[in-house]
Amino acid sequence: VDPSNFKTCEQSSFCRRSRKVQSTGSKYALIPGTLNSYMDSLTGDLINKENHHLFSFKLEALAGSTFRLQIDEKQPLRPRYKVEHALKGQPEAGHIHVHKETDGEIIITSKHTKAVIHGDPFHIDFYENDVLVVSVNSKNWLYFEHLRQKPKEPTEHRDGDQEDQDGAVETPKLSDSIDDPGAWEENFKSHHDSKPYGPEAVALDFSFPAAEVLFGIPEHADSFVLKSTSGTDPYRLYNLDVFEYVVDSKMALYGSVPVIYGHGAQRTAGVYWQNAAETWVDIQTSETNVVSSLVNFVSGSRKTPPPGAHFISESGIVDAFILLGPKPLDVFKQYAALTGTHELPQLFSLAYHQSRWNYNDERDVTAVSAKFDEFNIPMDTMWLDIEYTDGKRYFTWDKFKFPQPLTMIKNLTELGRHLVVIIDPHIKRDNGYFFHQDCTEKGYYVKTREGNDYEGWCWPGSASYPDFFNPDVRQYYASQFDTSRFQTVTADVMLWNDMNEPSVFNGPEITAPKDLIHYGNWEHRDVHNLYGHMHLMGTFAGLQQRDPNQRPFILTRAHFAGSQRYAAIWTGDNLADWTHLQHSIKMCLTEAVAGFSFCGADVGGFFGNPDSELLERWYQTGAFLPFFRAHAHIDTKRREPWLYPERTRLVIQNAIRKRYSYLSLWYTAFFELEQTGAPVIRPLLTHYPFDKETFGIDNQLLVQDRLLVKPVMQQGVSKVDVYFPAIDDKKNGDLWYDVETYERQDRVGYVTVPVTEYKIPVWQRGGSILAKKERQRRASTLMLHDPYTLIICLDRERKAVGTLYLDDEKSYAYREGQYIYVSYEFADNQLTNNFIGKPKYKSDAWIERIVIAGLERVPSGAKITVNGVQQALEVTRQGGAVVVRKPAVKMDIDFVLTLNYE
Amino acid sequence: TEVPRPRGVSLIKAALYQPRGGDNSWTCLDGSKTIPFVQVNDDYCDCPDGSDEPGTSACAQGQFHCLNKGHESVDIPSSRVQDGVCDCCDGSDESQVVGCANTCAELGAAAAIQRRNQAELHRQGAEKRLEMITRGRQLRADRETRRMELERRIKDQEALKSEKQQIKINAEALESDALEVFKEQQRELDADTVQAEEEPQQMRHEASLSFAVYDINKDGFVEVTELMVDINLDRDRNGVVTVEEAKYFLDERERVDLDAFVTLAWPRIKPLKMLAEGLFQPPHAEEQVPPVGEVPVEATTEGVQPTPPQQTEEQVDMEDSTDGEADEEGDEDQYDDEDGDVGVGEASPEVEAPAPPIYDPETQRLVEQANEARNALDEVERNIREIEQEVKEIDEQSAKDYGPQEEWAVLDGECYNFEDREYVYTLCPFDRASQKPRNGGAETTLGRWEQWIGEGYKYSKQKYGNGAACWNGPQRSAIIDIRCALEPRITSVGEPNRCEYYFEFETPAACDSEAQQAENVHDEL
Repeated sequence: VDPSNFKTCEQSSFCRRSRKVQSTGSKYALIPGTLNSYMDSLTGDLINKENHHLFSFKLEALAGSTFRLQIDEKQPLRPRYKVEHALKGQPEAGHIHVHKETDGEIIITSKHTKAVIHGDPFHIDFYENDVLVVSVNSKNWLYFEHLRQKPKEPTEHRDGDQEDQDGAVETPKLSDSIDDPGAWEENFKSHHDSKPYGPEAVALDFSFPAAEVLFGIPEHADSFVLKSTSGTDPYRLYNLDVFEYVVDSKMALYGSVPVIYGHGAQRTAGVYWQNAAETWVDIQTSETNVVSSLVNFVSGSRKTPPPGAHFISESGIVDAFILLGPKPLDVFKQYAALTGTHELPQLFSLAYHQSRWNYNDERDVTAVSAKFDEFNIPMDTMWLDIEYTDGKRYFTWDKFKFPQPLTMIKNLTELGRHLVVIIDPHIKRDNGYFFHQDCTEKGYYVKTREGNDYEGWCWPGSASYPDFFNPDVRQYYASQFDTSRFQTVTADVMLWNDMNEPSVFNGPEITAPKDLIHYGNWEHRDVHNLYGHMHLMGTFAGLQQRDPNQRPFILTRAHFAGSQRYAAIWTGDNLADWTHLQHSIKMCLTEAVAGFSFCGADVGGFFGNPDSELLERWYQTGAFLPFFRAHAHIDTKRREPWLYPERTRLVIQNAIRKRYSYLSLWYTAFFELEQTGAPVIRPLLTHYPFDKETFGIDNQLLVQDRLLVKPVMQQGVSKVDVYFPAIDDKKNGDLWYDVETYERQDRVGYVTVPVTEYKIPVWQRGGSILAKKERQRRASTLMLHDPYTLIICLDRERKAVGTLYLDDEKSYAYREGQYIYVSYEFADNQLTNNFIGKPKYKSDAWIERIVIAGLERVPSGAKITVNGVQQALEVTRQGGAVVVRKPAVKMDIDFVLTLNYE
Repeated sequence: TEVPRPRGVSLIKAALYQPRGGDNSWTCLDGSKTIPFVQVNDDYCDCPDGSDEPGTSACAQGQFHCLNKGHESVDIPSSRVQDGVCDCCDGSDESQVVGCANTCAELGAAAAIQRRNQAELHRQGAEKRLEMITRGRQLRADRETRRMELERRIKDQEALKSEKQQIKINAEALESDALEVFKEQQRELDADTVQAEEEPQQMRHEASLSFAVYDINKDGFVEVTELMVDINLDRDRNGVVTVEEAKYFLDERERVDLDAFVTLAWPRIKPLKMLAEGLFQPPHAEEQVPPVGEVPVEATTEGVQPTPPQQTEEQVDMEDSTDGEADEEGDEDQYDDEDGDVGVGEASPEVEAPAPPIYDPETQRLVEQANEARNALDEVERNIREIEQEVKEIDEQSAKDYGPQEEWAVLDGECYNFEDREYVYTLCPFDRASQKPRNGGAETTLGRWEQWIGEGYKYSKQKYGNGAACWNGPQRSAIIDIRCALEPRITSVGEPNRCEYYFEFETPAACDSEAQQAENVHDEL
């Protein structure tokens, strides 16, 4: 990356101005007597005591230990932008009780949460069961630039016009300090931002008194735990197409999800800062040296300042959701309750994807698909990047390279495979191109200040950008996916939306200028981070309209809070090196807790050529991230597995097969994500919140609470150190079973584990049950009727429990109850099943075998009882586990299986 | 007619799937485990080697035998059994429900026709190939004959050379004396005569340096493409150095070695280089004496080139800037024409030979005699070089692998084209592969002949390497995949990897029915 292509905080005038408050502080106060309380909320007026500008504030209780704080100008010169479409709907309201109202302080409670609002200086403390977890504006860094008239003489000392209105006395005022040269226009490199509305930043600080670490605010190529920004730039949230991005960086990337969490052993809390403008986030970390933690321990209270976050946005209003936990899964679910989850994806999309920029022509696609069969490597989906189009005109095909796309698609689908094609938002300005003609005639493009269609430079050359904020534009775009219009694809062809930050090669910071105008007369400045989101809404609507009974699959690069409802994401244009491999987990863990469970990184690395070892390890890592796709830049060497030495091919085959064997787990986890909002992959602290060692671990991950994965992500190692977490503060831990050998780990702490080139270090938690499919097919869709193997790993009480979800893997029939959702429970040498809801889906699948690890002795046999009929089953020992042979019970049938010890 | 055996077992293996008498047990084929025979094909994998489930998908490493009556029998991985995809042409891998059609009869018939056609093609092709073998062998014989002939001619020419050298020495001695006298007289007439130093090696030295610069791939030759990078050689000033322009400097050759470069190419290139470097000075700047160390390059004909006293300094400079040998080879006119085109802008030189000095008749006669002697020697030397060049080319050709029976030899020297939407691709076997945009523009070398690289059968693939470097990437290369056909042609060209091209090429030379049979046998094993 060339960092000089991107702004620093110092080069961004609103960031520079807002950050200055950190040294001076601000002076906002509640105006006594303006308070009104309602069933679910409290409103009042705030005043900036320095310039006497008035603001209205609203604090609202929402269902699920969540508060919403909104601050806007009471009488703005023009409306300020409020984010739309990010929330999945109107949040469910809670109830409040106002307990105490004195001059300086109001206490409101909602169930077991409490907000204490201090009038002057204005700040709010949020409590969960009487523990202070979030403080808002405790540092007095609230900073709200009210809209104002542009001064006539920019060099003259300004009297803010609003002061005249307010009739306030002239004193040194905050507004006066906005003689920043970037307040009314700003230049970056050769780009000019006209800033017709002047300064309009909003900023606010949040601290997390019960927390030790902060995490969240993707997307950055950085550690899971956020680092202090003292002495560095803040973390930046501004959707950008960054060429060859570097790791360990706070620079902005393709997506922006302004949710942050503070975690400590006792409490976890979060803040969702709902703002779609460019945003910078300063992070203060707590002192965690030995002395201070000792002092904290002894005194029982914190003596060092708690970790905090200072959100700084260029425009909009203050709209913050305070998520009060108390446990990690609670906050993740609270956030999911606001912005939604990915809906249950089609199962094939959780299988292996084969992509490259580009598969050159039909013959290439067919040949690559055939090679996967030749070498018996499962593969579900082939991808076509931009070169399949006729000159980067989306919804068209290159007729020379792809003369018969439907035949090519049929060749894939007959083998159970899928095709994904790319559709980007930049539209080629070509008068012979129907999409461009329509957008031009109907005025569907994003406009310049002067009202002309904005023209930028992207893959097609000169391009314009549909204004997806306009519902008519979204509907026009969505209608293009209909197979009666886009006749060269079938309803099984899925979508990839790239470059939707938007990427503009000749724009400021490779994106659109901020003074462009969108639907509703909003500036691009106000909505930038939502552009990709709106693009996705159009694509999602298009796919649903095309085939209402098929779940859409979309991959996107740009994303905002809520985009997870429409698309999977990947971490963009990474590099074929070991540090980027390591960051694939760090980044996806952060995305997962910010709503985006369906996350992956380009396996092999987008830029550059991975050597055998790196490629092998990358496949092994990718096999345990939710979205599993190999992809490569057009200038890289071809890297399909058979082009490497045989060993590499076999290691890759092994990794992909392992992925396929666990597809039922991934599928169940995504169903449960949709049901509950619990992330599919999770950092260790999610289930081991008391174990401080886990807080910083971002090279291991949990799949739900069932698998612990520590992929080998270092070159040339023959062993890895794995951390087995403690469930309490007394060094007690779970049992963990190696998923290949069933060798048991019962220690807490770091354990050194030997690895071969084939080894993916994965353990199943004692106490869990999961279902696998151990028969290999060339594509996951062909496994629909294949039998299951139940893997039961016992805890110290020799018990285990776990769920399995299955349905037709493709349609929305599951929304009508056409599914089987079953909880298996093992205790006292007996396995039983409990259907959650009536099993309405008819499946041919059955239970092939049951593997039980952690038994004290090997049973002599087993018997299964189905509908009152008993049958004896053979039990054999296999490694550290026993195998019950062929229970052969269908998935929707109740049974009891008992182990015998004669 | 059917041998009873479990589903998915081949006839050959049928005997291995018999229950043991008495307890009806059966032992896995690897001997590792004995199970009840009813557990064979019971859709549960018992044997570690997968042998108990030949007819189901239960074992990961199992094989299913499709009998495919009417076509070829094949083993498929058991993962393809009952997956809803018809893999066996007799449909035996799927249950009835899937409804696979039995296509074996059709496929068998089609395969038989295909085999027959292939055999016929190879038979006919083999006849053509035989002709190619005959011609190839003839070419080799011709080359050998020609080479001996050339060696003989070199000997003759060497003898002639000694003779001409002697004549030249004599003539130049006479000329030298006469000029000495003439110059004495001139000196008396004009004390300010410019004394030109003769530095015959200077020119060669300079040319060598330039050669090294132009020879980008360091193969000992300067090629057309290597010159095309020097924008100074853009004689018509249209922004690109075309192949034609570049070829002009190489005496219309594709490439030249050092000697040819010195004698043929450098004289043409040098004026343009000097022009580019501003060594042609407009007249008013010429008053200055060249600084020490920057010795003006002299005309380099062997022997003394007298400096006529009438010359102005301006003229001297111009003569220095011109090339003597070009003069001799009668290229002067062409130069002038070209310079007319080139001379846009201020540094427009008038490159004309200075007016010849006027000698007294006797001196004139001796000078002419000496010139004739020099020319005669030059001519002999040039002949020798040309013959040596031809010998070298023959040797290079003889070193190429034209196949075990010389069947590929006739392709050397041929070129084949293939047009797609954007490019015209050219393959000149044993020489190079290249592409040229259809809408004009320069040709790009995709690779030069390297070697045969067929796996299994060596003569099924060719590799061309060291082509022009890609922007930000490797040097281009090309693989030629060769098949038998009655007429030679390229059937497709692709770029499966960035800058790595793949040609499919057909020729009767590949119609080697014996090799084909050998390969078929290999396949069946």
